[in-house]
Amino acid sequence: MIQLLRIVGARFLERLGGLGRASVLWGTAMFGLPRRDDLRLLVRQMYNVGVLSLAIIVLSAFSIGAVIALQFYTQLARFGAEDAVGLGLALVLLRELGPVVTGLLFAGRAGSAITAEIGLMKSTEQLSSMEMMGVDPLHRIVAPRLWAGIICMPLLTAIFNVVAIYGGMVVAVEWLGSDRGGFWSGMQDVVELWDDVGKGMLKAVAFAIVVTWIAVFQGYDAEPTAEGIGLATTRTVVTGSVVVLAMDFFLTLGMYGDFG
Amino acid sequence: MTEKTTQHRSPEAAGTSYIEIRDLHFARGPRKIFDGLNMSIPRGRITGIMGPSGTGKTTLLRIIGGQVKPDAGEVLVDGQDVCRMSRDELFEMRRGIGMLFQSSALFTDLSVYENVAFPLRVHTDLPEDSIRDLVLMKLNAVGLRGARDLQPSQLSGGMSRRVALARAIALDPNLVMYDEPFTGQDPIAMGVLVSLIKNLNAALQTTAVVVSHDIHETSSIADKLYVISDGRVIGEGTPAALREDDSARVQQFMHGYPDGPVPFHYPADEFVYDVLGESVA
Repeated sequence: MIQLLRIVGARFLERLGGLGRASVLWGTAMFGLPRRDDLRLLVRQMYNVGVLSLAIIVLSAFSIGAVIALQFYTQLARFGAEDAVGLGLALVLLRELGPVVTGLLFAGRAGSAITAEIGLMKSTEQLSSMEMMGVDPLHRIVAPRLWAGIICMPLLTAIFNVVAIYGGMVVAVEWLGSDRGGFWSGMQDVVELWDDVGKGMLKAVAFAIVVTWIAVFQGYDAEPTAEGIGLATTRTVVTGSVVVLAMDFFLTLGMYGDFG
Repeated sequence: MTEKTTQHRSPEAAGTSYIEIRDLHFARGPRKIFDGLNMSIPRGRITGIMGPSGTGKTTLLRIIGGQVKPDAGEVLVDGQDVCRMSRDELFEMRRGIGMLFQSSALFTDLSVYENVAFPLRVHTDLPEDSIRDLVLMKLNAVGLRGARDLQPSQLSGGMSRRVALARAIALDPNLVMYDEPFTGQDPIAMGVLVSLIKNLNAALQTTAVVVSHDIHETSSIADKLYVISDGRVIGEGTPAALREDDSARVQQFMHGYPDGPVPFHYPADEFVYDVLGESVA
């Protein structure tokens, strides 16, 4: 029994220590004073995490939008309410699927790359050598990646939403012959700028902060061995995805309120 | 050159202590790495720190550079206690230190030229043509001016280490620390590194700390040697004096005897018990 308590206590302290280190890393990297090279480094990372994630985001968005429209159409057509496909699609995407799926894809594509890159820099002593040159890797390596993630993920979410709605429109209107005017006007009538678009984007910002934070911390804290980097990369994807899904539930509860 | 640097390299200053380590204690978990270590590293000279693998030589360099905090003791670099410095003060101090890592630690996303230019770009406001001249000078000093456009992945182990050396001396540091510079090098690359370290020290009058277990090479360039084992200094002096040292431990290390005070076998039960098991008992 005592042994069990000891193990649980040690694990708890280890986790607490990890959380402390992660908080220090986040605070130091996020709120350091801007330096000369910062913009150049930021743009480069925005290319790495943002532009290079575009292909998977666009492809997934089109496919998800098309599938949702197909499902909505088959159900709604039974009641003669095909015009509602547009508004249903928009609400589902803007409020939930846009930010959540982008968050999951971002953790898998950009998060894992960030962790592996920083972990490998650590194992090849590049971070140490930077420190010994009087350059803080938290400012030089971690901060641009954190900011790039926080800026790019909401933009990717917006792109995801637009492409998914277009995918849905292609299926519902172009292919299945639903009324074009009904598709768009239904959407226009129901979608609210703040309630649907704004709150969805707020979710995207929250996911961006957490997923990028997990990715940089896992890389920075990784055991500097091949196995350690592999484990850290896996943890980024798994923890990032689980946290996105859990956060989404609570954010929805908080934002869209009164379910009782 | 700054006033401090000029002062550091003045003839009067030569030979005084640049790094003072007093009663250093450091442990990793239950294992004691340093147990009351004392050291005095002279200014403007080459000091070799030797000892068997796993004695904490690299850790000692990290403690001097402030990357690892000791459990107790003082580490004075140019009179300032590294253990009491804030994060910003540490980064400021490190601008005057060059370090050659065992793995070279070149930035893999930058070319040879950009690697050497990195500290200059970050720490100075020099115009691009001055940076170019300085980078080419440093690369020329290590014989790799012609390799400036290569990527780190295109370099051999010896070349990587020379590029890392050029980068370490880019800002003309007061102190250069070499972590196992000769490990894994072929005889030619080793000879090149030995002469480079010696010539750089002679030309720039920097204080050099060479951590190594290559006795022959380190002895050939060091003005002073320390041998550490079991967390303490077990021998110090000039290479010639250490070769004649009476201590069995120093003798074993300096002459490379396979068995002695540092046993060949890792602590274990008697071999016969391990092989034949309980029946022997």
